[in-house]
Amino acid sequence: MATADNLIQVIDLKKYYNHGAIKALDGITVDIRKGDVMVVIGPSGSGKSTFLRSLNLMEMPTGGAILFDEVDITKKKVRNEAGKMVKLDIDKHRQKMGMVFQHFNLFPHMTILGNMTLAPIQVKHMPKAEAEEKARKLLDRVGLADRADAYPIQLSGGQKQRVAIVRALMMEPEVMLFDEPTSALDPEMVGEVLDVMKELAQEGMTMVVVTHEMGFAREVGNRVLFMADGRLLEQGTPADIFEHPQHPRLKDFLSKVL
Amino acid sequence: MSISVSGFEKTFQYAQMFKEGMLCTVYLSLFTVILGFMLALVLAVMRMSNFRPLRFLAMTPDGHMREEGFLAFVSRFNPISFVATVYVEVIRATPMLVQLFIVYQVVFDKDVINLPSVTVLGFLKLNRFLPGVVALALNSGAYLSEIIRAGIQSVDGGQTEAARSLGLGQGQTMRFIVLPQAIKNILPAIANEFVTIIKESAITYTIGVADLMAAVKAAQAGTFLVLEPLLVVAALYFCLTFPTSKIIAYFERRMRRGDRR
Repeated sequence: MATADNLIQVIDLKKYYNHGAIKALDGITVDIRKGDVMVVIGPSGSGKSTFLRSLNLMEMPTGGAILFDEVDITKKKVRNEAGKMVKLDIDKHRQKMGMVFQHFNLFPHMTILGNMTLAPIQVKHMPKAEAEEKARKLLDRVGLADRADAYPIQLSGGQKQRVAIVRALMMEPEVMLFDEPTSALDPEMVGEVLDVMKELAQEGMTMVVVTHEMGFAREVGNRVLFMADGRLLEQGTPADIFEHPQHPRLKDFLSKVL
Repeated sequence: MSISVSGFEKTFQYAQMFKEGMLCTVYLSLFTVILGFMLALVLAVMRMSNFRPLRFLAMTPDGHMREEGFLAFVSRFNPISFVATVYVEVIRATPMLVQLFIVYQVVFDKDVINLPSVTVLGFLKLNRFLPGVVALALNSGAYLSEIIRAGIQSVDGGQTEAARSLGLGQGQTMRFIVLPQAIKNILPAIANEFVTIIKESAITYTIGVADLMAAVKAAQAGTFLVLEPLLVVAALYFCLTFPTSKIIAYFERRMRRGDRR
């Protein structure tokens, strides 16, 4: 059952398309604990992105449950503290889950500062000055202090993704979800983004990372999930997965990517 | 037919009528744009709504949703979107003149909606002006709604996802992320529609609105001149439409700031 350090419990999560003909997720059960750096690997089409996007309901699952802080966020209605059934406010839960996308998805009509302060100001009602100060501090941490007033189009891919990460951090999430954060980057920019993620992991941030960067999985991850055909085929520490793979699909996959 | 300086001089004796006509055309266009835009927003939202009251028909006994077949097709029926679509298609497929006459002669008939014969703002006859505005707005709203819908759908889905993942609600995402980008995309098309409204408002002289075209008719009747009043009114329409498109082009350039390299 739920223990105190279980942040997200995924129970038998299913996502079907075309009346079950396509099973993007076919019964995934996994616990994400506070401080976990969980790396999800697998061949393309294995459902790892769908899994990640289900965690904050960018995709609505067909079945199963996702308990976030012990609340099932896949339900339309939940029981509140007073024991009454109330409509689930998914926006509230999404605030606690930062997400970083493959294609950055910065808002092109706003400056970097505007991108970062929009949600804190509008959702958390943080005063503008306070939000900007906080944004500048975060930008400084990722080495982009001088780009605060630039527009996204003026930044390189690596810079954009670093901004996307600190934009998500502005909301002080309890968990960060990374959906192939380096897949759209030129090779020489991958390192700068991974460095930021590594630093974040060392600070104790709970992270779920879908990636093809096996080096990152090995070095930074404390748990690795291997998915194929919408199923979770193997999980363990990086050492288990990379040094002693058990499942033939995993062995086959590793022989191709390593 | 000749063109002469004295002809223009005679025409200019009707300057007061042209002035009032021009103001009338400006008011006509302005109210039409405002009303039409509001109608267009409503229509666009209706067409993009996700209201499917017959959804339960597609539910199988074991709780799954049917994807194919007649029941699935019926279950996707959205009455709100259907009404808006029918409206837009009918408006786009019938002549503006017919719509204007239906509004003026049928809807604003004495027995249906009886407008008092009052003069507002000094020279606008309400019982002619209002039907004119309503007819023009009903027409342009249909066209504008298509432009708005296309603009909203042109914004990358990743933008919405990013906004929602930060905890912004559906309305906030629309307001801060989708609409600003959509408006930027559709501004040229909207400018075009605004210019069209100014020009099309000329048609309302057929129901007796004292706009620029009515001034032309008066000047032609009083002076027996044909060409000069028409040239004057063409110039005046140009003076209205050209700055309108230029002003919107200016805003468009300003909004492109984020795209500069």
